[in-house]
Amino acid sequence: MNLTLKVWRQKNASDAGHFESFQVADVSKDMSFLELFDILNERLINEGKEPVAFDHDCREGICGMCSMYINGRAHGPWDETTTCQLHMRAYNDGDTITVEPWRAGAFPVIKDLTVDRRSFDRIIEAGGYISVNTGNAVDANAIPINKTDADAAFAAAACIGCGACVAACKNSSAMLFVSAKVSQLALLPQGQPERKERALNMVAQMDKEGFGSCTNTGACEAECPKGISLTNIARLNREFIGAGFSKED
Amino acid sequence: MKWSQFFNTSIGKKLLVGATGFFLCSFVIVHLAGNISLLYNDEGHAFNTYATFMSHNGLIQFIAWGLKVVILLHAILALQLTFKNLAARPVKYAVKPGNKTSSWFSRQMAMMGSILFIFLVVHLAQFWWAMHYGVDVPTASYGGTEEYRDLYLVVQQAFTHEYNVIIYVIGMIGLSFHLIHGFKSACQTFGLNHKKYNGIINFIGVWFFGILIPAGFALIPVVIFFKQY
Amino acid sequence: MLNAKIPAGPLETKWSKYKSTVKLVNPANKRKIEVIVVGTGLAGASAAASLAELGYKVKAFYFQDSPRRAHSIAAQGGINAAKNYQNDGDSVFRLFYDTVKGGDYRAREGNVHRLAEVSAAIIDQCVAQGVPFAREYGGLLSNRSFGGTQVQRTFYAAGQTGQQLLLGAYSALQRQVALGNVTLYSRHEMLEVVKVDGKARGIIARDLISGKIERHFGHAVLLCTGGYGNVFYLSTNAMGSNVTAAWKAHKQGAFFGNPCFTQIHPTCIPVSGDHQSKLTLMSESLRNDGRIWVPKKQNDNRKASDIPEDERDYYLERRYPAFGNLVPRDVASRAAKERCDAGYGVGASKLAVYLDYAEAIERYGKIEVGKRGLTNVPKDEIIRMGKEVVKEKYGNLFDMYAKITGENPYETPMRIYPAVHYTMGGLWVDYELMTTIPGLYCLGEANFSDHGANRLGASALMQGLADGYFVIPYTIGNYLADDIQTKAISTDHPAFVEAENSAKAILEKFINIKGKHSVDHFHKALGKIMWDKCGMARNEQGLKEAIEEIKALREEFWKDVRVPGTLDEFNPELEKAGRVADFLELGELMCIDALNRRESCGGHFREESTDEGEALRDDDNFAYVAAWEFKGQSNYELHKEELVFEIVHPSKRNYK
Repeated sequence: MNLTLKVWRQKNASDAGHFESFQVADVSKDMSFLELFDILNERLINEGKEPVAFDHDCREGICGMCSMYINGRAHGPWDETTTCQLHMRAYNDGDTITVEPWRAGAFPVIKDLTVDRRSFDRIIEAGGYISVNTGNAVDANAIPINKTDADAAFAAAACIGCGACVAACKNSSAMLFVSAKVSQLALLPQGQPERKERALNMVAQMDKEGFGSCTNTGACEAECPKGISLTNIARLNREFIGAGFSKED
Repeated sequence: MKWSQFFNTSIGKKLLVGATGFFLCSFVIVHLAGNISLLYNDEGHAFNTYATFMSHNGLIQFIAWGLKVVILLHAILALQLTFKNLAARPVKYAVKPGNKTSSWFSRQMAMMGSILFIFLVVHLAQFWWAMHYGVDVPTASYGGTEEYRDLYLVVQQAFTHEYNVIIYVIGMIGLSFHLIHGFKSACQTFGLNHKKYNGIINFIGVWFFGILIPAGFALIPVVIFFKQY
Repeated sequence: MLNAKIPAGPLETKWSKYKSTVKLVNPANKRKIEVIVVGTGLAGASAAASLAELGYKVKAFYFQDSPRRAHSIAAQGGINAAKNYQNDGDSVFRLFYDTVKGGDYRAREGNVHRLAEVSAAIIDQCVAQGVPFAREYGGLLSNRSFGGTQVQRTFYAAGQTGQQLLLGAYSALQRQVALGNVTLYSRHEMLEVVKVDGKARGIIARDLISGKIERHFGHAVLLCTGGYGNVFYLSTNAMGSNVTAAWKAHKQGAFFGNPCFTQIHPTCIPVSGDHQSKLTLMSESLRNDGRIWVPKKQNDNRKASDIPEDERDYYLERRYPAFGNLVPRDVASRAAKERCDAGYGVGASKLAVYLDYAEAIERYGKIEVGKRGLTNVPKDEIIRMGKEVVKEKYGNLFDMYAKITGENPYETPMRIYPAVHYTMGGLWVDYELMTTIPGLYCLGEANFSDHGANRLGASALMQGLADGYFVIPYTIGNYLADDIQTKAISTDHPAFVEAENSAKAILEKFINIKGKHSVDHFHKALGKIMWDKCGMARNEQGLKEAIEEIKALREEFWKDVRVPGTLDEFNPELEKAGRVADFLELGELMCIDALNRRESCGGHFREESTDEGEALRDDDNFAYVAAWEFKGQSNYELHKEELVFEIVHPSKRNYK
């Protein structure tokens, strides 16, 4: 099939950026969306033009590196699918596909479709961990954990940190990302000692990074490639309120 | 975290917006309960009694002023958050997802809230001002010694004009759309999200606050309007 | 002969004795010592965090935007540990024994025993960090059997064990960043090792965003940069996985161990066309219930459902009646290749075999009928119930298959084909994980150490974390204790200047060639040579041809590659060029190593060394680690580290 690609081009962080259109012919339905870009780039290189810069690495939906906003959808039209797992059979001959980078002040564009998501690392730095030095652990079975809690913690921990939640949210809110980590650790006994500080500090950092606030539209959940649930955001709210009201300092 | 810091965080502010929202939800119930008496065929006895009580009781007066503060707080904080949210995406998307990833209502909170706010200004100017400070408000008495400012008559007369009816119906549509998402959203902000209770929260939010209450309010001007024929 | 510095004494006390006698660095001195860690996968993140906790000043480098993206994240199956929670007879010794045997007797006993010893502590550490392993209803950890082992020692978190373990290590790392003990260098690629007076003293790295070349000093340098499976172009590795750091170290004097030992995983989704950029693994667990077959007739173009039962060849069950579809990875992979090469392959490319769940679906359906006490259930109802059970067990894998191929695996058999998955070879390291360059360490998949010629399932995660959490924190002290007097060396030192200049020169060369073909063009060509001639089966003639072809390709690359853009900007093509240039050298060494090893062992199958079609090891001549020293372009000198088996006696692996 033949497609028209409208791709955001931006030389670097300070460039204003613009859309550039490309016709791509003979696209196979078996290609992944990123392989479409491989082919486009191969052509651009052969034509002596600058290839499109985009983030990608594992190409099996787990590293969280790929990040395209495709026709108004983070990671494209398929549910619970990252861009690298999206295949061209989602499209028809003659389609025009507009591809934009994740848009958020906290995710500045580096080049073309590549953005800087280190703000997520800094949020984790603010408390997304359990303070246990190597060698300090007790036997793994010393603390039994209720299976429902363990499963819920796992479901939250499945977050790949891709930023689709921020990209999809009309407010560029990072609440789903933050809530996934806070939830995972709040659900586990190991996470209890630092529970309050964690919720307060991670939210404070989230605000500091310039993410918007949550208005509970649910777009993040709808676009999350790992199906992280809004219940996590409710839990984060409870954790944060509980900590804010009860912690003395 | 100090209170000042706490309520300056995004969640802290949202908590205030949610809490004030809940308070306003409770207010609309009371307000509608009183307004229903506008439909009684008693020449306004019940309604004027209610209106006089509401404007003279000390405690109610205190709450009424509190209510205005709450409305302002709700609006200001929500606007603050809205502007912050807009600023969080300095470059906008060229293509938007429409209703594919979120409901239209959930995205129009600021718009509906603004419509509501404008409506409230009109509403207060029209009736609350008249009740408290109006100079040419007629009086009514119902066989006793007590004389009432006849707000009932003011209302009845106002709603003989279709423009007033339209303004009120639009205002109530705004209220409806605001609350269809607003109640649920405030629950989520307070962390109330539980498989067992989500059904009832959703029901209350959509059917009670989102539809029944605004429909009740809107019914009053419509009925009064058609009574004249 | 190379000395691996394995401590003397009985096997089971080597590590504990080493730990209690190794030199220490006092806390005040640790603060003054800087350690560079390259790569933030399981090995790198766990090492960086653990060393920072001890008080060293750590700098962590990674080419991705976040440490959490390293390819360890993609590991699905699980992590082994000798916990014996299931009371099924597991022990440190048994894990040690299985690993040495699984590696086809080409791993070092001392290292593997240490790995088995620390395995239990890894699970403890990860659970303490909040890694949400699967649990039973009683709240205790769940285990499964993996890769055909007879005990249940594999801990797992659904099909995302690597992800959860890496996020655990990443969180420990971020905590140290917050405490100021680790500095992160995001989107930085290491381009050169800097040696001062023969010791590794730093690296040259490129900031991938600005293009700036930077010099970084460290008292010691740790390479935790993963495997080099991407030399084959198509593999299950991430697109960015590369050998550059290890290869630059190799060219600076670090020996490369057993480069030809590559693991080909049998259950991957086959190539769909020329556009293919990577291959996706389907968990090995699928072989527990699926049956593998090809048509009995060559070039059979009928649909799978049109091929009657008696015209299907369940070749694994036929050849290996004892293990059937559960033979080890290397055996299953070769058998699939054999059938396809003989013309029995399926699908459009004919490079695939069927993995069929029809029988499993029916079997589970019948079990379900029995469980519910139903009678007279029509067949399609049984099938429906069976599908539900299969969905519950393997649903996520089936979904992934459907997404990629557009076929419904509940209705038609899946097509699978082997793909490059893991490299057992890597930089040669001694017992302390130090390469032949003093002060340069290598951890995780990047080193050659613990898996011999074949890695068992669920062992890679174990090794990466063992190296990072529990080995390097001890062994590095033994080296740094003598280095406490060494002040930070200025990065104006001539060695830094020289290393930077040589790194820069290479980059400038790429840009200035201005040839006709993209980097990918050469990468694909290399991959084809490697896959055809140094892949699942190798022979002398093919390897000799491959060496010549690679040399010619390399020459063409340096004459005709086209790298767009400039040096001082974000330039992914430039990054690729550097990586492929190194693969073009490594590929040759892999073939040289494969040519040298005239035996079949584990993942290395020499067609000349077989016994009735099965791999034949030659312990008399090849019970050694081949450690290659770089002596100049195409010139490698072989050093041997003899493998001494004191406890486990090599025997033939038999799955018939």
